[in-house]
Amino acid sequence: MASFVPRSPETLEDQRLYTQARLVEVECLDCLARVGVKKNSEHQTSVQWTAEAQAQCPDLVRRKAAADGARLVHARCPRLAASIEAAVADGRIQIGAEDGY
Amino acid sequence: MADPTTQTRTLDHGTQPERFARGWHCLGLARDFKDGKPHAVEAFGGKLVVWENTKGELGVLDGYCRHMGGDLTQGTVKGDEVGCPFHDWRWGADGRCKQIPYARRVPLRARTKAYETVIRNDSLLIWHDPEGSKADYDILPPELPDVSNREIYTDWIWNTVPIKGSHCRELIDNVVDMAHFYYVHFAFPTDFRNVFEDHTATQYMASKGRPDVAGGYGDADMFLKSEATYYGPAYMINWLEVDYKGFITEVILINCHIPTGPDSFLLQYGITVKKPEGLDDKTANFIGKKYADMFGDGFLQDVAIWENKAPVQNPLLCEEDGPVYQLRRWYEQFYVDVADIEPEMRARFEFEVDTTKANEFWQEEVADNLRRIEAEKEASVVEPVETSEGAS
Repeated sequence: MASFVPRSPETLEDQRLYTQARLVEVECLDCLARVGVKKNSEHQTSVQWTAEAQAQCPDLVRRKAAADGARLVHARCPRLAASIEAAVADGRIQIGAEDGY
Repeated sequence: MADPTTQTRTLDHGTQPERFARGWHCLGLARDFKDGKPHAVEAFGGKLVVWENTKGELGVLDGYCRHMGGDLTQGTVKGDEVGCPFHDWRWGADGRCKQIPYARRVPLRARTKAYETVIRNDSLLIWHDPEGSKADYDILPPELPDVSNREIYTDWIWNTVPIKGSHCRELIDNVVDMAHFYYVHFAFPTDFRNVFEDHTATQYMASKGRPDVAGGYGDADMFLKSEATYYGPAYMINWLEVDYKGFITEVILINCHIPTGPDSFLLQYGITVKKPEGLDDKTANFIGKKYADMFGDGFLQDVAIWENKAPVQNPLLCEEDGPVYQLRRWYEQFYVDVADIEPEMRARFEFEVDTTKANEFWQEEVADNLRRIEAEKEASVVEPVETSEGAS
């Protein structure tokens, strides 16, 4: 059952733009988990995971299993962060926004 | 296709969902229902009855008797059951009619809607699912250590605010809304980050109060470190570290709501403060009250916006904005059938907002405001002299 149904077809295009456009696939240099990354500026970063990538990241898996994981689970994986930095340094990820997305 | 940069943009108001979210909903502090009377709670387009049985457990049923529709919330608690004011049919917390005082036997079909309940962090939570599933106890909000221990935490200050004319998704949208903290709540958000995963959505924020405005979080001496997570669609725990003139207080803010209709909800928030060492209870409670007032002001600032804004399904974002579309994608998992939940609604998503440029502009604006305020102050000192001359 659908919910919050947009009335205009352009809204679907907006949803695609903001959630999928310009995501670049980055592979973690350690665990090889593949995520989608976008950087609208030096400081801004979006990371889109998949269930497969989450299961592959030992850091996320460990934190989720921890007794007090409820709060820890939101921290970033430092190895993935380093892998993204490397991808930026290699020029594989272009920094910059395109009309706000 | 037409060039979108030359076209006028229109707001897509969308069509509101025809159902209420699946998940755990908090009805309020458990103790507030424990006075031997049936209580009415408006929820999910109807009314619920809440009462305490002889064992101290809370029962939650649909508020209307399945016999002739009597209002159980105006009935009487009799033993473990709630008796209807119309014909005294007695309903148990399992949803079964236990007794009809004037009848030989109770019809086998005398079953009403019963909600599964849990007491968590001193609050009463119920499971709601339009598909009628069993409650999922694995996704309950976490228990806050020591929060019920009055030696360690101050007593809860619990407030409710009914909201009319807005879908509760407006409240959820705040999770990603970096810039509104400056304009609506009068704080500079200096760090801002979101993580969505499974049934949780988190906002990390560091902020400091604006010196040019009072109210809300506006106070130059106030630094907040905030970590706020929604556990499901309607219950958020906000861990706050408040630094006021170097004095640090740990505050827990519960921000929860019950949808009451298609465009109304009951906002509830509770505050407890970890008692700082060396402070007596009176002072600790005073601090708790002060922060409850502050966050209460904050919610009212939001309400003023919600009550006047238009619903928008297609927000237009700039690159300083947070991930509204991804948050709404996450939120949608609670509104579709379980079978229709898409993997991307629950897949982990991380978003770091770049607050640097925004804060540069805001610092300039605030500096201008302070100069103007200063100038107005000086002018107002001179003015009375001129007026008195004019009058004489």
